Amino acid sequence: MTMQILLNLLIAMVWMLLHDVWNTLTFTIGFILGFFIIYSFRRFFPTPFYGRKLWAILKLIYLFGIDLMMSSIVVIGQVIRPRLNIQPGIFKMETKLKTEWELAMLVNLLTLTPGSVVMEIAPEEGILYVHAMDVKRNKPSVIKTKNKLEDVIIEVMR
Amino acid sequence: MSAKEIIEAVVLVMVIIGTLMNSLSSLGFIRLPDVYNRSHAATKSITLGILFILLGTFIHFLFVDNYFSVRLLLGIVFVFLTAPVTGHLIVRSAYRFGVKLSDTSIKDELAEDLERAKKKEARTEGT
Amino acid sequence: MFDTLLKLSMFLLTVSIVIALYRVIKGPSLSDRILALDSIGYNVIGIVAVLSMLLNSHAYLETILLIGILAFLSTVALCKFLERGVVIERKRNH
Repeated sequence: MTMQILLNLLIAMVWMLLHDVWNTLTFTIGFILGFFIIYSFRRFFPTPFYGRKLWAILKLIYLFGIDLMMSSIVVIGQVIRPRLNIQPGIFKMETKLKTEWELAMLVNLLTLTPGSVVMEIAPEEGILYVHAMDVKRNKPSVIKTKNKLEDVIIEVMR
Repeated sequence: MSAKEIIEAVVLVMVIIGTLMNSLSSLGFIRLPDVYNRSHAATKSITLGILFILLGTFIHFLFVDNYFSVRLLLGIVFVFLTAPVTGHLIVRSAYRFGVKLSDTSIKDELAEDLERAKKKEARTEGT
Repeated sequence: MFDTLLKLSMFLLTVSIVIALYRVIKGPSLSDRILALDSIGYNVIGIVAVLSMLLNSHAYLETILLIGILAFLSTVALCKFLERGVVIERKRNH
């Protein structure tokens, strides 16, 4: 994968050399051109095409942005209601991620999604303890978000 | 309507949205019952509010002054990386320090599990 | 118009700092105070960003990064102190 990125940078440099114009625009055009060249030659590389991983990262950012917007709206909606009706509580759920990087990423993203702050982690058993603002209403949506994020994180990291 | 006015309108909308989010989540500091609920207001809404304000500033400097500010982008990334970490740390240290949950809480599975682990430890020490 | 609304948003950010200060003074537990101090840091970042737009200068943009780093480090140190009773651990036995 690193090989492919380096090759792409090399193609961009060669494109700049051929044009003899040294600015950002030419570099960007060369980089995009190299991306398509490597895409068309992807079967001859031993490792899978790196655009696939790039696409997974973009998908993660997109999912995460939508979740962050939703969670802020939910929290503000609870706060400006004249009478608070929330039933906070702590519940636990299981995760299938093992390594430290994946767990850290999942916990960071999960803390910013609707109605959940991760309190405590038991990495050996793979259990997360989550504080929710409204347990009964938030629990299914939190578990759904966790499953979605887990799939994308596995796609990015492995 | 010139191009500069359009840019100014976009920047103003972003800054006002961010400001409103920040002040509403500060309102949550007064209204919500305990630390754990207040951390919800602090981590989520304030992060998004700061993101909006900084993005508005970035767009303003990019289009009005033609100045591409790398520092602002670094600031956005930094705030995004650290805000959930601080929220998690504060909640965890509060629980270990022994801050009580509010009376309206209905469920505490962490306390049950800790109790069970303690009992198990006592039993293994006894035998 | 532009300047007036920016000043209004600075006023709102200041009000939210005052609200957080109320929580710092009254807060029933220590964790409340740490949380409020953290949010004061973020609000100050917002004020600096709006101020640099109002004065139309790039000179204040370094301050944003600095305040962010300081707020994060102080929060981490205070939480660590609350959890273990020390800030810098000499022996790590786990």
